[in-house]
Amino acid sequence: MRSRRSFSPFAGAARRPIAAILATFALSSAITVGLSIWATSRSQHRAAVLEIAARQRTLAERYVKEVLLVRSGAAADPATTATDLRVSADALLDGGLAPAVNGDDDDTQISGATDPTVRAELEQERRLVHDLTATGGAILGGRPGPAADTAHERITATDPIERLRILSDLTSNTALNTARTIAANADHSLGGLIMIQIGLGVAGLTVSLLLALALVAATRRRTAHFRSIVSASTDLVFVFGDGRCRYVSDSVTATAGAKAEDMLDEGFTRFVHPDDLDAVRMAAARARPAELVFRMSNHFDEWRQLEAHVSDLRGDRHVRGVVMNARDVSERVRLEEELTHQAYHDGLTGVANRALFRDRLDQAIAIAARTRASFAVLVVDLDGFKTVNDSLGHDAGDELLTTVARRFEDALRPGDTIARFGGDEFGLLLDGAGEEQAAEVGRRLLGRLSDPVEVAGRQLSLGASIGVAVHPRDGEVAEDLVRRADVAMYAAKEAGRGRVETFRHELARELGESLGLEHELRQALQRGELRVHYQPEVDLTTNAIVGVEALLRWTSPSRGPVPPSQFIPVAEATGLIVPVGELVLREACGQTADWARRGLLSEEFVTWVNVSQRQLVGSGMTALVRQVLEETGLPPTRLGLEVTETAIVAKGSASEHARAELQRLHEWGVRLAVDDFGTGFSSLGQLKHFPVDVIKVDRTFVQGVAVDRKDAAITANVVNLAHVLGLVAIAEGIESADQLLSMRRLGCDLAQGYVFARPAPATDIEALLMGGQPLTEAA
Amino acid sequence: MMTVVAVAAACSSGHSGGGTARVVEVTERDFTIHIPARIPAGDVRLVVRNRGPEQHELIIVRASEDRLPLRSDAATVDEEGLEPQTLGTLEPGPVGSTRELDVHLRPGTYEVFCNMAGHYLGGMSATFTAT
Ligand SMILES: [Cu+2]
Repeated sequence: MRSRRSFSPFAGAARRPIAAILATFALSSAITVGLSIWATSRSQHRAAVLEIAARQRTLAERYVKEVLLVRSGAAADPATTATDLRVSADALLDGGLAPAVNGDDDDTQISGATDPTVRAELEQERRLVHDLTATGGAILGGRPGPAADTAHERITATDPIERLRILSDLTSNTALNTARTIAANADHSLGGLIMIQIGLGVAGLTVSLLLALALVAATRRRTAHFRSIVSASTDLVFVFGDGRCRYVSDSVTATAGAKAEDMLDEGFTRFVHPDDLDAVRMAAARARPAELVFRMSNHFDEWRQLEAHVSDLRGDRHVRGVVMNARDVSERVRLEEELTHQAYHDGLTGVANRALFRDRLDQAIAIAARTRASFAVLVVDLDGFKTVNDSLGHDAGDELLTTVARRFEDALRPGDTIARFGGDEFGLLLDGAGEEQAAEVGRRLLGRLSDPVEVAGRQLSLGASIGVAVHPRDGEVAEDLVRRADVAMYAAKEAGRGRVETFRHELARELGESLGLEHELRQALQRGELRVHYQPEVDLTTNAIVGVEALLRWTSPSRGPVPPSQFIPVAEATGLIVPVGELVLREACGQTADWARRGLLSEEFVTWVNVSQRQLVGSGMTALVRQVLEETGLPPTRLGLEVTETAIVAKGSASEHARAELQRLHEWGVRLAVDDFGTGFSSLGQLKHFPVDVIKVDRTFVQGVAVDRKDAAITANVVNLAHVLGLVAIAEGIESADQLLSMRRLGCDLAQGYVFARPAPATDIEALLMGGQPLTEAA
Repeated sequence: MMTVVAVAAACSSGHSGGGTARVVEVTERDFTIHIPARIPAGDVRLVVRNRGPEQHELIIVRASEDRLPLRSDAATVDEEGLEPQTLGTLEPGPVGSTRELDVHLRPGTYEVFCNMAGHYLGGMSATFTAT
């Protein structure tokens, strides 16, 4: 207890036992003092009585002397002495004023005797005094001796003087004996008094000691109970009573860099951010809300974000307060903010990324719906960029992209948005622009780009193809606008580059691209031209294969191999993605079940299948997955679904429904992964509320991780975040040993990429699995 | 309380003393002593009861012809002079007490008295004969 200022919460509770201890002490002391005072006054009184009893002796002797003197003719006043004797005897018996005997005596007021024995003796004394003075009176009066037997003495002597002397002796002796009796009684009662006082002292001490022991025991119990609450975690703990801070844990004082006494009572208010103070006060006083976030200054005068859980333990007799368990979430919040920024910006050029562009686009659509103002979307694709990249290297390409971004920024107004969609493709959002203005801006951009740029020691002149779509004419939703600007851009490229094209419906028809592809894709589905390939996922510590990602491959009889980046958007736009997705799911599950039955798979092996937002939004995903798993006999835990960030963050009832579907599947045992992570998150907080097992780090970050500090930082943050949230991080698209080394250093758990194995048909993968060997890092 | 203790003590000393002693009641009251005039010779236990109102002693001596000799104060008996013929002594006892005195009486005359100042002269004595 000694240094535990911490236990002030119990100050109130301990008051009662302490008060009882003090009261016991006070009571026993008061009784002792009272008894002492009483005993003192009694003994003062006794001293007076004893003195008067002793005076009787003197008086009796003086009386005899005076009678003899008078009888022999001398002058004396035996009558006064006789009176004094009688008055004193009366005073001793019944109280009153006893006369002074010697010159230095005082008249003494005493109270009467109460003890029966003492009274009997004093009555005898009074009778003797009577007999004595009567005998003296007879002698002085010359009368014969009286029958002086009031006190039942039987004096045989006949000489009156002899009788007088014997009576004087008896009077003296009785007075003396009475004094002895009183003294003996006093001794006796004093002894009793001492015993009572000792008893009281012992009893008081014992009771106090027992109370103190009980107090210590009770405090221990409370301490233990309180500790059990407090030490459940390493949280920062505050206890409030009546809105005042009664306790702060060591972790709080350590964080605040203050002493506990500075934080108790109202002290804590100086450490809480003024904007958050009301909320904290409210929680301290009413234990509501049950959770809150507030800022507290630390010893560097920085604001720390605390996330607090509030428990109402006012009814708990051991605490009697509101307990706030807080956790410092500053790092997480900072990480979230940083990632949110990164998630919205292109790492290379610093302009917006596709996610932010999409956001701005949605905002612009919302504003336009109210104001009826138009705006334009431009898609810009650099001409000949691939050549630059291939001949001068990636660094030169990156430098070029950065320069282009700067030139775009110079050419546009502050309200406009520039985004890099990836590669050499940019998107522009021109606020308030109509078709004419947009085309004008497009031509201005082409002019700016044509100024020579020095890259890697060479003067380059750039060209670009620009497509324009105008709201609301060319579309009222974001997807349509971007796709149509895209179509226009392709048209510009087709028409010979270095041009600006505005979308027209004829363009789409002319290009015929998407329509034709859709038709062929339908045929491919029916003809079975779509095949599923698998790419191994490798544990970065053991190099063991822990799973595969199922990937769709299409080789068209007329076109040859069609990359997924071309036909998947078409499939999504047309709804063909649903049957295509089902095909992949059935194929992958059947294959995995087959491998599992043949004992080729390790315990943790999972086959991952991509699921598009379109598939999730259409109802029946859960039913389909269940049906396929039952048909193929694959345990749910062997199947993983990869969803895009959109699936997690998108708003609207359809998306809510999709999330509910995923949630159900996850509860059933199916694994979930977030694909292309790091490219479009609005709030990582949403990830907390969604049952994800794996985060896939997008290949664009992975590919820059070994050479680009920004990419490396983002990747590190994503891996950290995954670990903070208790998730597994997997890196996609690892192509080089450098990238692999970097990912290992960053603590990434799993990896997938050409450096281990390319996507391959099931038979090739089977060979790898049968070999059972860890994958070597082939270049 | 006192009485109870005294009786208990009497019982125990009675047993140790052989238990055949004759018990003789002696009462002291005011300035008189009451004791039977005749007591059989032999071992005798005197049970002395003080009925007050004062403290009293009890001294037992073989009686001589004369009055007992007094000390020079002329108020008390000369106990020291009587020592050869003294059989036993009880110091001043409180009012209400009962005390015992074991004596061996040979045939003859004895006198009991209280020697507190003035008591003997005030009449506090008695004689008896042991036969
Ligand atoms: Cu006497």
